[in-house]
Amino acid sequence: MIEEKIICIGCPLGCETTLKIGDQAEVVKITGYKCKEGRQYVVEEYRSPVRIFTATILTEKSARPLLPVRTDRPILKSKLKEAALTLVRFKAKSPVRIGQVILPNILNTGADVIATDDLLD
Amino acid sequence: MGQMETEVLIIGGGVLGAVVARELSRYKVDVILVEKEADFGWGSTKTNMCIVCQGADTLEFRPEYHRSKLVWDSMPLTEPLCQEIDVPFKRVGELALIRNNEELSKFQKLKSRAEKIGIGSHKFLDQETLRQMEPHVTRQAIGALYDPNIAIVDPVRLTIALVENAGQNGVKVMRETEVLGISQKVNEFEVETNRGPIKCRFIVNAAGTSVDRIARLVNSDDFVLYPIRGYVGIFDKNLGGLIEHEIHMRPDAPGQMNIITPSVHGNLFFGTTMQPARRGDYSTTRRIAQIGLQNVRKIIPDLSEKDIINSFAGFLMFRNWEVGWHECVVQASLKVPRFISICIGYPGVSAAPATAREVTELLRREGLRLETNPGFSPFRKAPPVFNKLSEEEQMELVTKDPGYGHVVCRCETVTEGEIVEALRHGATTLDGIKFRTRAGMGRCQGGFCTPRVVKILARELGIPEEKITKKGRESRILLYKTKELLGAEL
Amino acid sequence: MKYSDVDVAVIGSGPAGMAAAIKAKEEGAEHVLILERQEQLGGLLHQCVHNGFGLLYFGQDLTGPEYAHRFVEKVRDLGIEVLLETMVIRISGDRKLTAANSREGTIFLRPKSIVLAMGCRERSRGQLSIPGTRPAGIFTAGTAQRLVNVEGFIPGRKVVILGSGDIGMIMARRLTLEGVEVKAVVEILPYIGGLIRNEVQCLYDFHIPILLEHTVIQIHGEQRVKAVTIAKVDKNKRPVDGTEQNIECDTLLLSVGLIPENELSRMAGVDLDPLAGGPVVDERRETSIPGIFAGGNVVHVHDLVDDVSWEAEIAGAWAAKLAQKGDLGKKGKIILRPGRNIRSIVPQTISGQNDVTLYIRIKEMEEKVQLRIGAIYNQAFRVVKPSEIIKVNLLQKELNSLRGKTTELIAECEPFDLPA
Repeated sequence: MIEEKIICIGCPLGCETTLKIGDQAEVVKITGYKCKEGRQYVVEEYRSPVRIFTATILTEKSARPLLPVRTDRPILKSKLKEAALTLVRFKAKSPVRIGQVILPNILNTGADVIATDDLLD
Repeated sequence: MGQMETEVLIIGGGVLGAVVARELSRYKVDVILVEKEADFGWGSTKTNMCIVCQGADTLEFRPEYHRSKLVWDSMPLTEPLCQEIDVPFKRVGELALIRNNEELSKFQKLKSRAEKIGIGSHKFLDQETLRQMEPHVTRQAIGALYDPNIAIVDPVRLTIALVENAGQNGVKVMRETEVLGISQKVNEFEVETNRGPIKCRFIVNAAGTSVDRIARLVNSDDFVLYPIRGYVGIFDKNLGGLIEHEIHMRPDAPGQMNIITPSVHGNLFFGTTMQPARRGDYSTTRRIAQIGLQNVRKIIPDLSEKDIINSFAGFLMFRNWEVGWHECVVQASLKVPRFISICIGYPGVSAAPATAREVTELLRREGLRLETNPGFSPFRKAPPVFNKLSEEEQMELVTKDPGYGHVVCRCETVTEGEIVEALRHGATTLDGIKFRTRAGMGRCQGGFCTPRVVKILARELGIPEEKITKKGRESRILLYKTKELLGAEL
Repeated sequence: MKYSDVDVAVIGSGPAGMAAAIKAKEEGAEHVLILERQEQLGGLLHQCVHNGFGLLYFGQDLTGPEYAHRFVEKVRDLGIEVLLETMVIRISGDRKLTAANSREGTIFLRPKSIVLAMGCRERSRGQLSIPGTRPAGIFTAGTAQRLVNVEGFIPGRKVVILGSGDIGMIMARRLTLEGVEVKAVVEILPYIGGLIRNEVQCLYDFHIPILLEHTVIQIHGEQRVKAVTIAKVDKNKRPVDGTEQNIECDTLLLSVGLIPENELSRMAGVDLDPLAGGPVVDERRETSIPGIFAGGNVVHVHDLVDDVSWEAEIAGAWAAKLAQKGDLGKKGKIILRPGRNIRSIVPQTISGQNDVTLYIRIKEMEEKVQLRIGAIYNQAFRVVKPSEIIKVNLLQKELNSLRGKTTELIAECEPFDLPA
């Protein structure tokens, strides 16, 4: 059986919880949490640790060198660095509207990378 | 680069090199001034406490020293000089605090010694008068010796203004030019620099902390100097009104110097320790910072660490190892003709105008022909300071140049117009802009304006932002472009 | 618009300024004017490309630019006047305001009310008095954030971050994703300075080393930063001899705290609260000078942008009311005083006539405490931390009992055994 440590971010307490994981990757036991919501959070964080990916991309022919972007839904945290590398190839060209898709389905995560600001010059 | 030639080469663009250059520009003489840093006054000059003294202000003072004479002779010259070249000069007066009868009798002796040599402006104040003049001063002071003649200046601005005026009158100025070697030829020197050789007949060695090293290049080490590291701290300008006079107190330990003074820009400067240290080690230490604060609190107990916005260390060259009153170097070499070294140490600014005259005289004696330069103008106009103008003047300036309406540094209200003007006057670095315009000198210490000033520098100098430096050489500020480290093609 | 006609002038257009201006307009002020020193509305939000904005205000997880965008559209739709690239350079106690820009030169206004919404700034190296040399390569985290996310520059490739404020941690993640090696985050306290979410998602996610109870004791390098020396600190935050270690790096970022931007508040002459950092305000966010209001990080540094906007809305609403009525009636009578383990309370005074939300900042981390405010409020907490502000809602009916009786309310944290 393996153990995994996850810090709960639900409240300022920041409980350090320990998950005992069974052979089928199922959660066998959780210790260290102090509330129901915390327990639920660490189970989810164990099963699928996902984050909204935010970054910037280069622009072309604009006074602004960069355009901010993000994924429209969270992606696995293990994919964040690869996502940053993927975006290096893309250059935004005016006009881009806030919310516009820059790259659909990045790294087959099902998440689209969208602009988080207008680029209109 | 072709061979450069001049009659006089001045090594060092601190206040002394600058004032000599400006003095020589009164005559028809070819002069080159070389400075190894990217701008002027960044060495010992910067460490100066901004005070224009008259010498007889510390108990250690020695009237018989040559340095004393240079300081007294400069006293009537400094204010008119500042007016001519349009730099602030403010007579704030000085208070030497007296804590007990022992100190009182020492200061009485000082006063009579000063009077004997014609300095008659000192006056004793009782505690009540002292507290009326400076309500925040320590209650331990039972009185003070007051000298209304003492003034403050901005030593770096003064230096820059002197260099500019010298330049207007024909002196050639070279920055980031470091002297690497000097060979003596029959009637001249060949000076090796990182920018090629310079031939000259006379050398004025005003190299500040390197003055002894430069002298050694021609085997003319007729003097021994010790590098003394001083520590200077700056308080936020919201404390600017706390004191109105330069105030000092007898140090309780050797190597210390308890002094606090208003600056011409509204901050308070305090200087505390003066100790021998390895030359070139400009680092500050935690211990010195603590001593500094403790000492300045002996004068003004209300001061808090929280209000210190910056601190730095700098070097002065002293002839005495025991830091105190010491003699200066203003002399022609005993071994090498046409080679003059100058080094004043602590009151370099106070002694500057008379030193320049004396150096000129020494050069004449060494054989330099001095014919009046008919084109010489003693006047130099400072670029406009938006913050100091009336509302009408501000309006007029913006109409002429919209850049003056764009405030880049919010703490000191410095406009883009002033930064561009500083660039035109020769600033090439972030620190250069800082010392010339005060952008980045306020309480946020460049947090807001740094990216903006870098942008303006890059635009005006026509180079990429990544090439802009803090203070020349290897001090680049922005090392990469965003995405560059991820392998983007930029 | 003629500048002589301004009802409400708002200084700054970040999450506070825009919220205040919108609210003022919605509350009926006719001429609302925003003065912004940058070339676009939004203040620092543009450089905050990360998410975590608006979860409370909009119920959505937005990035800084998206959060700004929503307010910008509303400013436009409501016809609020905007002066960009305009720096307010003077305010006097009688609400005379001088601004400068490159189009009009100096501009003079005397609005009926003013809302201070200049936000906050970062503590600098000078204020920390970190010993060592003075090379290039030392930046505050926020300056680095602007450089990396807006200007397009990476300060260096080997970075040490001093302080674990939120911007510092967010920059640790950003720089890591930009290919920079973040060698360590060094924190003098025994716990992280920012939010726990950032600790986990910015540092742990990327295995960035955190050194608690450590600090930078020396900076090395004459021209560019070459290394820093760090050391462990004792309980009094003094470096412990023998624990020094050198970390080679070319950049040092500082994330050691934010301070309300007081330049103009001081100039106007409003009373300042040294504990909260900004002007003393009442529940209407009016300062000690009638007609000058303040909201957002200029009053006290918030944890969440949502609270910044909400607080500024209070200022905007009352500024509009004053502009219309000319008088707001009686001012607050009850003074709130920080007691045991409380650093600051905003607002500093209340009238007892309205419902009010108090923002309470704790001094030191403490477990199992109860927060008590006079005799009218108490609440138990598992843990309180300086990095996480406590919001307390007091209802008018609770305060009613105090009217005419008390002139002072003390808030304090005291040890308390929680029921199991």
